[in-house]
Amino acid sequence: MLSAYIIHLLILIGIYLILAMSLQLAMGFSGLLNLGHIAFYAIGAYTSALLALAGCPFWLCILCACLLAMAFGHLLAIPTHKLKGDYLALATMGFTFVVYAVALNWTDLTRGPLGLPGIPKPNLFGLDFSSNFNFLFLTIAIALITYLIIKQITRSPFGKALQAVRDDELAAQVLGKNTFKLKSYSLATSAFFAGIAGSLYAHYVTFIDPSSFTIMQLIPVLAIVIIAGLASLRGTIIAAIILILLPEPLRFIGFPSSIVGPARQIIYALILILILIFKPTGFFGKVKLE
Amino acid sequence: MFLQLLINGLIAGAIYALVASGFSLIYSTCKFIHFAHGAVVTFSVYIAYLLFSNLGVNFWLAIILAVAFAAFLGWLINLIVYKPLRNRKTSPVILLVTGFAVLILLESLILMFFGADVKTIDFIEIAEGWQFFGAVITPLQIVIIAVALVLFVLLFLLMKTTRLGKAMRAVSDNKEVAEVVGIPAEKIYSWSFIIGSAIAGIGGILIGLEQNLEPTMGTNLVIKGFTAAIIGGIGSVPGAVLGSFLLGLAENFGIWYLPSGYKDAIAFVILFIFLLFMPHGILGLKRK
Repeated sequence: MLSAYIIHLLILIGIYLILAMSLQLAMGFSGLLNLGHIAFYAIGAYTSALLALAGCPFWLCILCACLLAMAFGHLLAIPTHKLKGDYLALATMGFTFVVYAVALNWTDLTRGPLGLPGIPKPNLFGLDFSSNFNFLFLTIAIALITYLIIKQITRSPFGKALQAVRDDELAAQVLGKNTFKLKSYSLATSAFFAGIAGSLYAHYVTFIDPSSFTIMQLIPVLAIVIIAGLASLRGTIIAAIILILLPEPLRFIGFPSSIVGPARQIIYALILILILIFKPTGFFGKVKLE
Repeated sequence: MFLQLLINGLIAGAIYALVASGFSLIYSTCKFIHFAHGAVVTFSVYIAYLLFSNLGVNFWLAIILAVAFAAFLGWLINLIVYKPLRNRKTSPVILLVTGFAVLILLESLILMFFGADVKTIDFIEIAEGWQFFGAVITPLQIVIIAVALVLFVLLFLLMKTTRLGKAMRAVSDNKEVAEVVGIPAEKIYSWSFIIGSAIAGIGGILIGLEQNLEPTMGTNLVIKGFTAAIIGGIGSVPGAVLGSFLLGLAENFGIWYLPSGYKDAIAFVILFIFLLFMPHGILGLKRK
């Protein structure tokens, strides 16, 4: 029983890791304070769930999930590319609320607050991932691939250009970089991986409803990124593991789940506030948050 | 139908304006988006509920205590969260993110202590609304609009005629110059938080009398508040009031065509449009 619990935690860590690393790409490496990350996660989860329920194979579900999330990432970049700082944060946060409202109200498609039950466990080219143990391997494999790809992106000339935009947008423009293109590619790629995380989540818990995709859900992801420090992937891995495990002892102390839920949020929010006040670069951060 | 939507829009506008005016006051002096303002609203209404409905305190006393607590909470958030950040010259966007974390923290505290179930403050028994050319309006709704209007006049007079109001406008205009002539900016910031939060507290209680209490009501309200503030021109208190009424009307006329669940989405589409095309709003000052 305990090992099943540990497997569950590891899967959660994997999903949050993918989410946090993709947010690092937008926030840490490109300097886009994107508070709409949960919206891409939601788009991925709903796309994948709806396709799977319609009978599509898992590989098609996850592919469509991340491509659609990516398309929305690109779409969001078009109107917001001129916005900076707090205005960008607000506009992207607004996007989360719009996606949430659509998930809640487009009942013909999403069944609204009733949610989508019975999402099939994945089956990839004959490999069966229906047991949690096998699903863990899938999650770890995808998290690892995500890590390697994002690592490669940040080392590539494209990634260097992104960091240049983050540090000094005007200078990057003077050097002939199309900063709109760079920022929109970054946001789209970031959304792509958030879509993967959403798809994994949907197939893992097999039930999704709009309440899994509120702005509240951003707090753990944001806390992971900020504790790790901007532009540090290694830090992100460590922070994701620590933060997901941190509230778990609450369960063993014997608090009812109506207390554990809010207590988790309190812990994350408190850590986030303390880090922002006392250690704004995070523990592994290379750049200052601005 | 038209008249009913107009009245509903005005009521919603008055409610948003109570949140937005305090929010805008704080923005105008401190120059950052105080996201935790929503939590101040929620706390005020839950304190009123706790005192009046649970402990049986006299209603008016409960209201006064709740508003005082809201003012205290706003002051406290500024002191222990925003002030250290400001001292380190943190950018406004970090203050926004920190405020967002404070909002989630405080809302989760309410969720933990009061539970997620919907609550009501049963002070006013459900009165039959007055018929008014085929539209219905309840006495409470008239009180909401009246209290809102009185508060705005008082706030306006405070800003225009008192020493404190003048000092606030001076800090809002140019903090450095204000400090050079001897206006203590930190003290003015504290006062903005106290006054803004007290207005939010009054707003919260009026909302609590009109609607149900939910732990997450503040998030929704602060978002409506800043959407209204951006429509009217962020940093301008009259602008925030104007923006609130426009937003209330737009939402209520919008659901003429769309399912009512899309109300919140309408606010965001408007927010998007203003951020993109009119970031200074209708009455706002240009940002540097």
